[in-house]
Amino acid sequence: MKIDRRCFLSLGIGGAAGLALSPIPWKLADDSAIWTQMWPWTPVPADGETTYVKSACTLCPGGCGISVRKVDNRAVKIEGMEGHPVNDGGICLLGLSGLQLLYGPTRVKTPLKRAGERGEGKWVKITWEEAISEVAKKLGDLRENGESSSVACISGTDKGSVPTLFKRFLSVYGSPNFMRMPSVLDSYELALSLSFGFAAQQGFDLEKADFILSFGSGIIEGWGSPVRMIRAKSSWRESGGKTVQVEPRLSNTAAKSDKWIPINPGTEYALALGLAGVIITKSLYRNDFVKGSTSGFDKFAGLVLSAYTPDAVEKITGIKKETIEALAVNFARAAKPVAICGRGQGRAQGSLGELMAVQALNALVGNINKEGGIFAFPNPGYMAWPDYIADNIAAAGIKKERADGAGSGNFGYAKNLTNRFAETVKSGKAAVNVLFVLESNPLYSLSDTNTVKEAFKKIPFIVSFSSFMDETATNSDLILPNHVYLERYEDVYVATGLSKPVVSLSKPVVSPQFNTKHAGDALLLIAKKMGSPVADSFPWKSYGACLEEILGGKWGKLVKEGFWTDSASSAPVFKTSSGKFEFAGGFIDLAALFAPVNAEGDPKAYPLLLIPYDSMRIASGYIGDPPFAVKTVEDTVLKGKDALVEVNPATARAGGFSEGSYAILKTPKGSAKVKVHLFDGIMPGLVAMPRGLGHTAYDNYLAGKGINVNELIGTVEDPASGLDAAWGIRANLIKA
Amino acid sequence: MSTPDDKTKEVSADAGGEEAVASFEGVDEKEQGEGPGGFVILFFIIGFVASLIIGWVIFPKLLYSQKRQPVDFNHAIHVETVGNGCESCHIFREDGSYAGVPKLAQCADCHQEVQGENPEEKIFVEEYVAKGKEVPWLVYSKQPDCVFFSHTVHVKLAGMDCVTCHGPIGESTSLKPYEENRLTGYSRDIWGKSMSGIKKNSWDRMKMDDCAECHEKETGRKSSVQTDKDACFVCHK
Amino acid sequence: MKEEQSKEKVKKFGMVIDLDKCTGCGACMVACMAENNVPFKEDESKKLDSITWLRIYKLTNGKPFPDADICYLPRPCQHCGGKGDHGHSPCVSVCPATATDYNKETGIVSQIYTRCFGCRYCMAACPYHARYFNWWDPVWPDGMEKYLSPNVSVRMRGVVEKCSFCFHRYQLAMDKAYYEGRREIEENEYQTACTQACPAGAIAFGDLNNPKHAVHELKKSSNAFRLLERLQTNPKVYYISGREWVRRAGDNYLKDEKK
Repeated sequence: MKIDRRCFLSLGIGGAAGLALSPIPWKLADDSAIWTQMWPWTPVPADGETTYVKSACTLCPGGCGISVRKVDNRAVKIEGMEGHPVNDGGICLLGLSGLQLLYGPTRVKTPLKRAGERGEGKWVKITWEEAISEVAKKLGDLRENGESSSVACISGTDKGSVPTLFKRFLSVYGSPNFMRMPSVLDSYELALSLSFGFAAQQGFDLEKADFILSFGSGIIEGWGSPVRMIRAKSSWRESGGKTVQVEPRLSNTAAKSDKWIPINPGTEYALALGLAGVIITKSLYRNDFVKGSTSGFDKFAGLVLSAYTPDAVEKITGIKKETIEALAVNFARAAKPVAICGRGQGRAQGSLGELMAVQALNALVGNINKEGGIFAFPNPGYMAWPDYIADNIAAAGIKKERADGAGSGNFGYAKNLTNRFAETVKSGKAAVNVLFVLESNPLYSLSDTNTVKEAFKKIPFIVSFSSFMDETATNSDLILPNHVYLERYEDVYVATGLSKPVVSLSKPVVSPQFNTKHAGDALLLIAKKMGSPVADSFPWKSYGACLEEILGGKWGKLVKEGFWTDSASSAPVFKTSSGKFEFAGGFIDLAALFAPVNAEGDPKAYPLLLIPYDSMRIASGYIGDPPFAVKTVEDTVLKGKDALVEVNPATARAGGFSEGSYAILKTPKGSAKVKVHLFDGIMPGLVAMPRGLGHTAYDNYLAGKGINVNELIGTVEDPASGLDAAWGIRANLIKA
Repeated sequence: MSTPDDKTKEVSADAGGEEAVASFEGVDEKEQGEGPGGFVILFFIIGFVASLIIGWVIFPKLLYSQKRQPVDFNHAIHVETVGNGCESCHIFREDGSYAGVPKLAQCADCHQEVQGENPEEKIFVEEYVAKGKEVPWLVYSKQPDCVFFSHTVHVKLAGMDCVTCHGPIGESTSLKPYEENRLTGYSRDIWGKSMSGIKKNSWDRMKMDDCAECHEKETGRKSSVQTDKDACFVCHK
Repeated sequence: MKEEQSKEKVKKFGMVIDLDKCTGCGACMVACMAENNVPFKEDESKKLDSITWLRIYKLTNGKPFPDADICYLPRPCQHCGGKGDHGHSPCVSVCPATATDYNKETGIVSQIYTRCFGCRYCMAACPYHARYFNWWDPVWPDGMEKYLSPNVSVRMRGVVEKCSFCFHRYQLAMDKAYYEGRREIEENEYQTACTQACPAGAIAFGDLNNPKHAVHELKKSSNAFRLLERLQTNPKVYYISGREWVRRAGDNYLKDEKK
């Protein structure tokens, strides 16, 4: 007997037979199949209890109410709050993407102090005590040296308790320089204060209007309170409200309007005056209102009838005079007509003349402080602040001229001219030693980026309260990161475009994810650290205590329901010296007020015109577009990292461009490489580019894509008001 | 194999005839019966038996890791004390969803302090309740992410008993070790309890086919166009 | 038990999208992505492999300035029923793995990711480009995994995904109804994420068979049309537009062909 190969063979066969009868091959095959169905590195979200938290969204000035769905203690979905007076369940794509901002990689997780040069990206993590001490010391030193008025603050908004706290701080400290990021609100405020005679904000009862004449306002693209306006547009389909859109480009709003009237860019004021002229000529104005409640009508009528006849306006605007006349008649004959302005989302201020001209139309049809008309609200009075104590330094400091020049000299009526800030600081006219930046991104969002960069170089100490590593934060010296709105209590006030102001309460949906601090708390700590006399005006233990106190009886309702409508607000009284609505705000020199605003640049070197436009899908304010929103941007706007500009096919052909060709877009302010997109909806001779792209900070999902149109467009100062009247800039497209 | 001639030679060559006879008579049965291929069969059997043993005994030990629960929970005592069945701790929420294994807050209701003498309870109170830390229980019945299982439908609507799918856990005085399949990550209670795949109790396996078996019998629905049985989204998400 | 189930009425969930109200804002696209754990990449401008279960198309009338006109059209999965609603959707008919299936009780085409092995035959079959393939493993940067919803499976690479009419919301709504002792759900208890988010109220969702639901009446509008009707896919998404050129854009008509 031998142990030979056959034995080993049979060992193998026996083994194989046994193996087949054992569970090994069958179980392994099944388990491997199961393993491939769901690889272990794919996340499996944990299940838990579903709860909803009502809060408010602060990502844009719209002030929508939101309902956030949570699973255990994670927030998983943001939805619109049903029953909220602003949005009633609707929500925009920016609000929906809020969780990507909360949990995303651009969060600043702890206070940071700059190491290395500005913009290098080198930071040192410091504690809150260190950060607060450093700010308090800097401020203390400046105050002792009598330089308290060289401290400035740029804030996204001036409404609400946190901006008010910062403004209060500056007043107690001794500086007049609380500035709000520029927008058409500045123009509206100025126009209202001149026409109505008191510090007011504009409200619109648009849902009940039946004829809306829009001078370039992006009704469904984010003008006013975005979701509320979109809902209003839908409601007009049922109520029969008509919209007429006057703008050089077929925007989404124009496409959805009942009539789109293309107009030469920058000439909207002329059309408004021309329409006023037709209404006056045909006696279609509301006689009783005009005679009884307005002043300055004759002077106004004199100007429009002489200089803005339909023929003259046709030459300026490019609109046929038959169209102008028909439009005026339709507008005036409607039961509740309203004229609105503020191009796109209202990011640019526009000239005072343009606003006055549009306002005049509303006055002519008498639709002021009535249902379906425009309203003037007094500034918010829902907060009960205790008086603050101003010592001599404070009293003296507040009286100094503001860095942006508002409130003095030629600009005595203006409250905010932040558009002038970059130029005054760059030229040395204004000395700013410390700049606080709150809920805004001026280095990115202000026009004429190069000038802003130069101005920032002149400011030795910049403190950013941003939650995200945006352009301004990247170029600051100290970052005191604020909680994201989903982590904090704050009152959210909105009147923009509404018929009644609404206050919502933003609540913490999740506990703070990182070592951040509420900007209100940070400011209170800075005040306390500075000691008397500054600290005396900030007696609250915390921002939460402060908020509860100043909201008084409304706190309970706000916590329970999430919002409070100021139904008692509306002031149908004109407080001008005449006691009436002042046509043209009482300006003496009407021709100077209603002067054309030319685009910067030599027409020979720059034969085309570059106009910016606003898109719902690209956030262009303080918030950078989150990844979900960037994903929705069409490949005719952004392709890879290339920005595409809209050009009329005729203009493109003349320049030798076809769809997708590269070109250099040159303006007096700068140049950029772009791709050409042929679009039949844009007037020949124009080039259009969206706001909101071209970020250099944030993360890879946003940075480096497209062009920041603010780098290519400068400011054009309106001599009548100091506002930035630029609506675009001259440009040229050169072969790349 | 030796021939008869050889054998005679051997016997006659031997000095001690009795020994030779004895050796001849004491031949092993097996050797006698197998003939020339004896070892082959032996090796076949060795290989066969070895792989059977490896497959049925050793393989399960290798495939499944034995994990201990963080706290050795005694179901029997709690069922006795609380006395309302499984639902007294494994509750339904108001929106119809199922809370599953209770969270710390529920246990802490009674166990703020040590109630009994069991050292496991001491660990629970000190390490978890006092520190506010959720206990990382290993859930025997955890299904893959693709599964949507509604306890409401099965317990409230169909009136099924917890034991049918979960086995008599309520009677146990300690938590059995969590045997985790090293390849798939799922518990052995889902698939693999009996390696032969033969189910003795309804709770021995809970894969798709087990659910489908019951569904076909109880509901008889044919909403799926592809399979003529229940549609996919009934149980999947 | 069996008897009760056969008494339950057959539902046919569908959508009516009013293109005259749609503003092209994109809220529906993002609501869907946020609700359904849809992944995102750094460069999403390559639209062929950008995963958007609901995608908004921009239609143009092809006329030159100033007669140009545009219209936005949101396109979810059309949940085709095939002829006679017998479930012969183009995708269901070709799937070799039974990963996609048609549910006769709700009319919804399901997609089970664990069965799908990524052959993409369904993507070739779908005439609406409603299906998307995970070419890469999803990556959620730095803690963003926290916002993932447990009600929807997270997909790995190599599987096809598509709009499910937020079926997980139906499952959760039925759960609540069963818990409260009901067998039927109201119209507002099961709404898709896109319908809920749309600020313009352009999307209506509900049971096309149920006369109490809004979509039942809306689909009868004379301005209603479906995409690629002549393919006889029998889709469940109806579009309404008062503009002739938009209605014509819903199918491939020849220039002089009458609708």
